[in-house]
Formats: sequence, C-alpha cells, structure tokens
Amino acid sequence: MPKVVSIHSYRGGTGKSNFTANLASTIAALGNRVGVVDTDVPSPGIHNLFCLEPEQTTTTLNNYLWGDNPITDAAYDVSANIGLTGEGCLYLVPSSVKADDIARILKDGYDVKLMNDGFRALVKSLQLDYLFIDTHPGLSKETFLSIAISHILMLIVRPDKQDYQGTAVTIDVARQLKVRKMLLAINKAHSQLNPEALKQKVEETYHETVAGVFPLSEDIVQLASEGVFCVKYPEHPVSQEFRKVAQQIVEG
Amino acid sequence: MSGFGDLQSLASSITAVTSPFRNYLNDLYERYRSLDDGAVADYIPELALAKPEWFGICVITAEGQVFEVGNCDQLFTIQSISKAFVFGLALEDYGRESVNSKVNVEPTGEAFNAIVLDEATNRPCNPMVNAGAIATADLIKGANSTERLKRLLAMFKRYTGREHDINVPVFLSEKATGYRNRAMAYLMLNFGMVSDRIDETLDLYFQQCSILVNAKDLAMMAATLANGGVNPVTQERAIDERYVQDVISVMLTCGMYDASGEWCYRVGMPAKSGVGGGITAVVPGQLGIGTFSPPLDAKGNSVRGIKVCEDLSRDFGLHLFNAAKPDRNLAEWLAGGDGLNDW
Repeated sequence: MPKVVSIHSYRGGTGKSNFTANLASTIAALGNRVGVVDTDVPSPGIHNLFCLEPEQTTTTLNNYLWGDNPITDAAYDVSANIGLTGEGCLYLVPSSVKADDIARILKDGYDVKLMNDGFRALVKSLQLDYLFIDTHPGLSKETFLSIAISHILMLIVRPDKQDYQGTAVTIDVARQLKVRKMLLAINKAHSQLNPEALKQKVEETYHETVAGVFPLSEDIVQLASEGVFCVKYPEHPVSQEFRKVAQQIVEG
Repeated sequence: MSGFGDLQSLASSITAVTSPFRNYLNDLYERYRSLDDGAVADYIPELALAKPEWFGICVITAEGQVFEVGNCDQLFTIQSISKAFVFGLALEDYGRESVNSKVNVEPTGEAFNAIVLDEATNRPCNPMVNAGAIATADLIKGANSTERLKRLLAMFKRYTGREHDINVPVFLSEKATGYRNRAMAYLMLNFGMVSDRIDETLDLYFQQCSILVNAKDLAMMAATLANGGVNPVTQERAIDERYVQDVISVMLTCGMYDASGEWCYRVGMPAKSGVGGGITAVVPGQLGIGTFSPPLDAKGNSVRGIKVCEDLSRDFGLHLFNAAKPDRNLAEWLAGGDGLNDW
C-alpha cells in the first residue's frame, strides 16, 4: 500500500523544502518509486533542489488545478538530475513560479477536491510507493487537506519559542483531522545544544516522537539550494540522520 | 470543546473530501468516465444539446453526509424521475385506494410510451409509464394550473432543499411534439379515467418533466426517501411517512422502464431514471444516490449511471435482498477507519 507523507512547518524558513528533498531522495535511494508534489503554490521553490529549471516545466500543478491537464502531465522524472542510480526513481510535480500564475491561483482559488483526486491519480498512474507533499508554511486549505490524507505527518520545528508555539497549534489541528501518525524533526539545532536532551524535551512537550535531530549545518548551507545533499554526500552525519528518519517512515 | 467549533467544521469539510468513501466514488468516476457506450436522447433538439462527457456521482447518507464527484452541479431536466415523486403527492392528495383506482402498480414489459390500458379496469399499468404519469398528474390538486404547478415545485423544494426552475424550451418542445401523450390522455378521458381538463394536465405533465435538477438534487431526493420522507439536511418533511413505501416499491418494480426486472435482480435498489441522463436510487434507511450522465442505453437508462449503481450495490452489499458479507463495510467506509486501504 502506498504511503503519503506530508512535510509541514508552522513558520517559514525551517528548511522544509530542503528536508523534503533529502528525505524523499533517501527513500528513493532505497529502491522506491517516490513522488514529490510542491503544493506551496504561493511560494514554490523545491524544484531548484531537484535542478529543474522553470523553462523545462511547461506544465505545472497549476495547470492541473485549472483543469487544463491531467496531473501526470506535470510530473517530471528528476532521478537523473540528482544522480539517483539503481532501482528507485523520483518524480516532481512543481508549482508554477510565474507571477501571473501565482496571482491567478491566489485570486480564484481552486477546488480542494481536485488536489485530493490529483494525489490519488498520481500515485496510481506512476505506481508510487511514497508520495511526499511539500506544503506552504502555516495553516491553509492545502495544509488541512495534506494532513487529512497523510499516513504520516512530519512536522519540522526549530528549537525556538515561536516554532514551539506554532507547532502546538498544528498538532491540535492534526489531531482534529485524526492524522494517523505524526513525527517531529528538529532542524537547525545549534552545536551547543545536546541533541539527545533536546529530543527528550520536545517529545515530553508534545507527546509525539522525534524522528531526528539535525544540526545547523554549514555543509548544507554551502550547497545552497542546488542539488540534494544526501545523494551527494551519503556518508555525511546529516545524511546518516536522514537515513534514520527514512527508516521510521518505511517501518511506520 | 467550545472554541473548537470552526476548527471542527473545517476539519469535517476536509475529511468529507478525503474520506475513503469519496475516494471510492472517485475511483468509480475514473473507471467509467471513459465508457462511451449509449447515445444522448435526441427526440427533441433541446435534449441533444447535453454533452456526452458530463458525469456526476453524488451519494448522501440518511444522516445528511454528502459525497460528490464530477459534474454534480450541472443542471438537466428531471424527465421521468419526476413521476415517482408526483405519485407521492397524488397519494397525499387522495390516499392509496383512490389513486390505485385510477392507476395500477403492475410492472409492464411494454415501452414507457405504449398506448396500453388494462382491459378490465381501463387503468394505466403503473405511475412510471407515461399514461400512468399523466393520470397521476391529473390528480394533483389546485384551483388552477399555476397553483398546481406551484404545489409541484414546492414539493421538489422540500425534497432537495432548494428552489427549482423549469427549462422553458424543453417544456415547449415536449408540448409541441407530444402527440402520443395527447392521444394517451384522450384515450383515458374516453374511459373516464382522467378529468376533462386535459390541456391543463398535459401542460403540468410536460412542466414536471422539464424541471431542472442536478445529481446532488437526485441524491438528496433519494436520501429523503431513505430517511423516511424527511430531508436529512434541512430536516423538513417532504412526504407523508405513510406513502414513502408506496413510492419506493413502485420505483423498485417499475422505475427503470422495461429494464426494471433485470435492475431489481442485478442491482436491487429502488430507483428511477430519466431520459435527461439522471438516476435516483434509494437504499432505505441508509443512502440516497444520484447519478448524471446523458448517454442512454436502448431502454432509456443512463449507461454510466447503471454501472455506478451496480458497483455500489455489489461492493457494499446494498442489494435489498443481499445476505452475503460484502467486500466493503459501508459504515466503516463512511466513518473512514484507519485500517482501510483506499489507495
């Protein structure tokens, strides 16, 4: 049975897209067929990490939501772009970065039913094992939808007060939507913080499992937003931490 | 839970979209949207304007949960589906015995527009064939044609919870070309089975067939019958509870034109179809189903609508006489339990 994983954070700048790209690639590298949908229609960005240029993406999620194309027309095989070898493969459904397109979808909205039906069509026609949904920060229609259909909801939280508070709100909503499984990931932890103590504190606060703790990593920052770190540096401690999280997704 | 009201209602609107049952309906929609058998009715030009690709499926539970997929807001003319509901209003106006003395309730293998009356009693076979529907329309009370029409429209509003309009071009075309129905009415007048306000009654009959509805309306009408005659959303009573069984049983035996026997055997849901492409189907106590897809088979029933009802009946064990354990448990699929593999 295919698994749907939503990656969410209450606030922006938590490293959500980077996290999604790395986790999805790690799971694809295990030999799985993986899809990633960028539902962050107001501020799309994850296509950069998969080295997909806007000029190459003539059809996007927007076209599907407007009823122009089936969603599979907007799915791009990016396995080669990120240097994925072996059995696994990775497809990306990007959102449009054209200002006009963003304005149109914000102005007219879209039928949330279509988003749900599109996810399902994508999983079926590409025979995906995993579908990752990268969301816009905060709470919105697509956040609610992605939480409701997810088998696993991953919440990214930075160790600071604003994130802690926002995450509590998101967890309330997720429980209201009867989410099946929730995992937390702590990102951008300062080197002074003890990861084990941090993990324990966050788990006690929310009564949910922390799947991984990721340091504020200059290595990742240096790579900026080009390419997927885990595929390029599989032996780096950060990549190993991603494999740990991937393991919990696969088993969960 | 005070303070969570808005969150709760937003959450429930989202879970209605993502629920396993709606996903199941979406799979049916995807499975049959490419089915291009059948032909759109074209005996009057207005009906031929319907697009063959239009397709909507709506299911409403007796508790008022709504699940919709496809073109559920697209309006079309109700056509023969109106007959079942107008029969209910005639029963309210005159009671069972009096109505049955004018219209029999016997299924017929004849076509819906056959000019046939019972030899001994001169009654039309049942209220679902044209002759029977005209005799039924004749019974609708009201001081004049406007009042009678307004009573019909008010009744449909009680079933669906919204105002209905009439497609005037369809009404005028039906009226202009309805020679056969006119002949039928005069034959019944000859035997004293209808009153002599023939033109007024025929107008009412053509108007009732030209009422505009959508798939969601058809599901709500069926859900109202499934819920004992009370609209499950507005909680308004649409029909006297004593006559719900009359309407539903005639739908079961006569609702699908001369395919009613096979329908009862294969699908086992009381239903009524119309040449506009609609089907309304009742699962008593549980569900109302409304489907809309204009291409019809040779017997005048919507091809995709039949498929959808067949699958729903089989997969959830909704056949009236089903005794076997179905593949899917309806209550579980409506509630959306964790263990369901709806992918």
